[in-house]
Amino acid sequence: MISQFFVLSQRGDSIVFRDYRGDVPKGSAEIFFRKVKFWKEDGGEEAPPVFNVDGVNYFHVKVVGLLFVATSRTNLSPSLVLELLQRIGRVIKDYLGVLNEDSLRKNFVLVYELLDEVIDFGYVQTTSTEILKSYIFNEPIMVDAGRLPPLGPAAMFMQGTKRMPGTAITQSVVANEPGGRKREEIFVDIIEKISITFSSSGYILTSEIDGTIQMKSYLTGNPEIRLALNEDLSIGRAGGRSVYDYGGSAGSGAVILDDCNFHESVHLDSFDVDRTLTLVPPDGEFPVMNYRITQEFKPPFRINTLIEEAGSLKAEVILKIRAEFPSDITANTILVQMPLPTYTSRVSFELEPGAVGQTTDFKESNKRLEWSLKKVLGGSDHTLRAKLTFSQESHGNITKEAGPVSMTFTIPMYNPSRLQVKYLQIAKKSKAYNPYRWVRYVTQANSYVARI
Amino acid sequence: MSGHDSKYFSTTKKGEIPELKEELNSQYKDKRKDAVKKVIAAMTVGKDVSSLFTDVVNCMQTENLELKKLVYLYLINYAKSQPDLAILAVNTFVKDSQDPNPLIRALAVRTMGCIRVDKITEYLCDPLQRCLKDDDPYVRKTAAICVAKLYDINAELVEDRGFLDALKDLISDNNPMVVANAVAALAEIQESSSRPIFEITSHTLSKLLTALNECTEWGQVFILDALSKYKAADAREAENIVERVTPRLQHANCAVVLSAVKMILQQMELITSTDVVRNLCKKMAPPLVTLLSAEPEIQYVALRNINLIVQKRPTILAHEIKVFFCKYNDPIYVKMEKLEIMIKLASDRNIDQVLLEFKEYATEVDVDFVRKAVRAIGRCAIKLERAAERCISVLLELIKIKVNYVVQEAIIVIKDIFRRYPNTYESIIATLCESLDTLDEPEAKASMIWIIGEYAERIDNADELLESFLESFPEEPPQVQLQLLTATVKLFLKKPTEGPQQMIQVVLNNATVETDNPDLRDRAYIYWRLLSTDPEAAKDVVLAEKPVISDDSNQLDPSLLDELLSNIATLSSVYHKPPEAFVTRVKTTQRTDEEEYADAGEQGLSDSPARVAESGASPPASAAHAQHPAARQPAAPAAPAALPDLLDLGMDNSNSAIVSVDQPATPAGPPLPVLVPASTGQGLQISAQLIRRDGQVFYSMMFENNTQVPLDGFMIQFNKNTFGLAAGGPLQVPQLLPGTSASTLLPMVLFQNISPGPPSTLLQVAVKNNQQPVWYFTDKIYFHVLFTEDGRMERSTFLETWKSLPDSNEVSKDFPAAVINSVEVTLDQLALSNMFFIAKRKHANQEVLYLSAKIPRGIPFLIELTAVIGTPGVKCAVKTPSPEMAPLFFEVVETLLKS
Repeated sequence: MISQFFVLSQRGDSIVFRDYRGDVPKGSAEIFFRKVKFWKEDGGEEAPPVFNVDGVNYFHVKVVGLLFVATSRTNLSPSLVLELLQRIGRVIKDYLGVLNEDSLRKNFVLVYELLDEVIDFGYVQTTSTEILKSYIFNEPIMVDAGRLPPLGPAAMFMQGTKRMPGTAITQSVVANEPGGRKREEIFVDIIEKISITFSSSGYILTSEIDGTIQMKSYLTGNPEIRLALNEDLSIGRAGGRSVYDYGGSAGSGAVILDDCNFHESVHLDSFDVDRTLTLVPPDGEFPVMNYRITQEFKPPFRINTLIEEAGSLKAEVILKIRAEFPSDITANTILVQMPLPTYTSRVSFELEPGAVGQTTDFKESNKRLEWSLKKVLGGSDHTLRAKLTFSQESHGNITKEAGPVSMTFTIPMYNPSRLQVKYLQIAKKSKAYNPYRWVRYVTQANSYVARI
Repeated sequence: MSGHDSKYFSTTKKGEIPELKEELNSQYKDKRKDAVKKVIAAMTVGKDVSSLFTDVVNCMQTENLELKKLVYLYLINYAKSQPDLAILAVNTFVKDSQDPNPLIRALAVRTMGCIRVDKITEYLCDPLQRCLKDDDPYVRKTAAICVAKLYDINAELVEDRGFLDALKDLISDNNPMVVANAVAALAEIQESSSRPIFEITSHTLSKLLTALNECTEWGQVFILDALSKYKAADAREAENIVERVTPRLQHANCAVVLSAVKMILQQMELITSTDVVRNLCKKMAPPLVTLLSAEPEIQYVALRNINLIVQKRPTILAHEIKVFFCKYNDPIYVKMEKLEIMIKLASDRNIDQVLLEFKEYATEVDVDFVRKAVRAIGRCAIKLERAAERCISVLLELIKIKVNYVVQEAIIVIKDIFRRYPNTYESIIATLCESLDTLDEPEAKASMIWIIGEYAERIDNADELLESFLESFPEEPPQVQLQLLTATVKLFLKKPTEGPQQMIQVVLNNATVETDNPDLRDRAYIYWRLLSTDPEAAKDVVLAEKPVISDDSNQLDPSLLDELLSNIATLSSVYHKPPEAFVTRVKTTQRTDEEEYADAGEQGLSDSPARVAESGASPPASAAHAQHPAARQPAAPAAPAALPDLLDLGMDNSNSAIVSVDQPATPAGPPLPVLVPASTGQGLQISAQLIRRDGQVFYSMMFENNTQVPLDGFMIQFNKNTFGLAAGGPLQVPQLLPGTSASTLLPMVLFQNISPGPPSTLLQVAVKNNQQPVWYFTDKIYFHVLFTEDGRMERSTFLETWKSLPDSNEVSKDFPAAVINSVEVTLDQLALSNMFFIAKRKHANQEVLYLSAKIPRGIPFLIELTAVIGTPGVKCAVKTPSPEMAPLFFEVVETLLKS
């Protein structure tokens, strides 16, 4: 069972600290922070999410730059604790609208009230915002989200959470709108994180889609909802013995999931028949369904890299990216990165003529080339030339000492799996009841890598 | 004011406490509420606001739930420091527990359970009894947990009041949340009790399996974890259980999935039908892989578990190796684990793909990851004979890039490949030799030297190559020196020409006369003697055929693996250590025994949690204080029990054969006391204790490397002490890789460096290694390790000796707490410590026992123990030529008698 829960800022200040069992000394927050920091400085490594110092087990996750930590003395389930830490973050966000240091400090009384209901004597009681509502009496104090630096999709992605840009709604599920009237609306986001590794010849070595159907409901009275997915959706690689066995399925149009799982509120009674999910959405943000696909899909970007040596101390890198999605779709916040040989001393860049919204940089400290593009239209291609100057002669094989090229991007209203929400039906209370329904798609790069 | 809670953090110029006091007593409700919020704010930043106790408690009687909750929060923190005032709150608590509002009832019971004040505990019983039978499930589920809280404070009370039965009744509650909490509470109570309290019968099993379907996700984990202890009667029951648990694999909560996997794996052991097992494996694979789509923290936990699962059931994920390929943006801790699993799943079928990946990883930026990738290639070569050649060619390709640490790592693994496939791949030696002068890491250097020595006859210029190392011989690390010595001997035996002969003289001279390293010196002398007396025998020894190695570097011992598998989905399966190794309830119990002298010598320990808990009046610390008496209770029987056990291990001559000298890394006996905790030793943990075995004193030591680097070159030195204890040989500790540990028995000699002054049990020790500063720590000499096996005396000798010693040599002491329950048991125990029984007599209702013992140099101790059997209080008198040793002697006897 959990002994303590605390939230630390990036500097190690403890923002929230709750002791549940009194069997771990209070200094644990400092011990933890020192350990994690020391880990980082020592060889640039990152502390694993679970470790033991002097008989105390420390669990932590990073949520929007904050450290959510739990301690325990017993041999309990680490996945339970880590999952719980994520959920606490989500519950607090549901309540406060925005989750950050500022909002936590401003709402500490509410946060303590929540923590008392979420955990009792180290045992998780509930993390459902819906259930918690009946026990919580403090009103959230909203912080102005506008003043905060926007959490760009790439930034979110770096935090390794599943929280997605599509749901960047900074509104509390319990607080009333300033006007006292709540808007009836529901958001359904289909978020796909894609991972691809291209071989040096452009052939796809591995590809994977991690998808989530995320829901956030602001509907009063919790009406039942039906969500219909592609009818030809199938689960489990039919007869597929191996992951590499894409045979036959590709191109046939059917969406094949390797595996999927569902939120506990989802009823699957008719799922096998017509691929519809029925649920009464609880308040707050939650994943309706997670799925995983290794079926081949068309990669949204192709990357071409050419390295030409120009004398013993010079070389030229030509990076070319091609957007292979429809022209009515635009990708944004694209970042292309490439590690260069360690003996690279200078880089000069040459963008294509008329380039707009593109910046380049050579990160001296880790010898990395960075090329960022604000927007890329479907069907277009872009090229960057970089002239490298070396401080010593290369060992004769630059391609082995540079690369691979990696990319991050976000493509709204596009999902490579072709999984779709065909319709979203809300049980009607009256004829006039017609809440807003938002179904949004977004694709993000997870590990998008081209070897050279 | 902005209307934000953070305003409560701002301080005023006027005295804060008086101002708050005033506001707390305000006649306006809102002002009072604001004031309590300010108090809580001060409390959370660690300010002491305990002086406001009465004023805050006065705000408790309110209809406002928000305010009530705040007051309760305050109470939990400060009740312990103000136990008398806390009584003031009891009435309100009891009243609240009967409030019409279920939220208030639950709140009262929840809070009372958190106030660990004895007087309050008494008042808790009646409300708790009512709440366990409350109509409202929210109250019942809170009451269920409260039973566990109460058990932690006063177990007897819980049993007397029949709360355990009430709790068991809640297992059949119609509300799944109540069921889940009852299960959690019972499981915790069972953990701390030795009696069977919560046993899962087939009846409870089916009830819980039904509740499983309706529970919240967290409740499902409690129930699954509790059920995993259930042993099915037969294969059919096991199949039934599995069938009902399998749907949990579809849950979005990773904890539910892993606990379900644990349960299924457990039951699979019983299932005999191979079809069913195969089918289950097929069902488990996709959810296991899906765990790798979760947050990286969860992925890490999943990977550590999968690592265990594939060792036991390699087929489950045999076709899924691709999902373990590292993603560019995986955190390093995930990448490292994936590599490990890739090696485990590598087969002749997929090795080409795997090698391609490894090769790519080996050119990445992160040095540790690159090293591990290179090593992985070598391990695959050793594992898969048919792929060895391909692995080697990849390694050679990497060497050609000439990145220094890649080259060194490659050479280390190539040495292992040569061991695995002798006389197969020597053609690549020439390529390796090209990198000779770039090697600067000891392990790589040592590996290269080993290769040169091993294949000296095929390397034309082997003598030149080795000679180039010889110049710097004295400066080389021990590891390299040892290899140089052996390699030169091999060279000489293979090519007994003039050059090598000169070399060997230089080396032997360097390694004997010029060195302080006893290891090196011993090895050199052995070679020297062998070479000078019987060169043929030397050949047989040095050039003997070596046993074939296999890749078991990360393979777990089967019994440990089984234990870890039964702990899937717990911390144990992440650390890959059995729960006893890190669950500190065990550890703290042992510490109580060591505490006093840890205090005296080990200043570094003051950082340790136990100590912090005792200083300061900050709220959670005081709560930790409250825990203490409860924690001590189980400690008392456990700690002394460790002592005779250890002695048994050390002193029983006749059974010494079953005690292997090389203790396993996870000691079977009681763990050694930790003298340098990892936090003080920059990650190195040293545990040690003096023991006696086979008539000799040993220093039993264990080193645990929790740093990120390998540690080697361990040496030890003892300061002057009363008995002149000193190391009787070099400290034999191999290179310690990160995350590993090594145990050793260091033979000790006596009377080497005796410190003058009054006798003391203080033993000051210094340990060093090549990577860290010198660690100084103090240990305690338990006098009885010095008692010799020849301490038994004839009755007549005893009497004579007794008479011959003047009465001034007799010293006595009372041990009021010690008790002799059975003469036989006590005598057996003392005999294990080489205190031998001579005679006994009765004196009124007292038993008088006579015993003898001897310490080295033949100094006898004549002992008289007087006690009433079964009644505390033992008088011990001792007569000896060295009465100054008596205090040390009494200390030991008292400890032994108390056990």
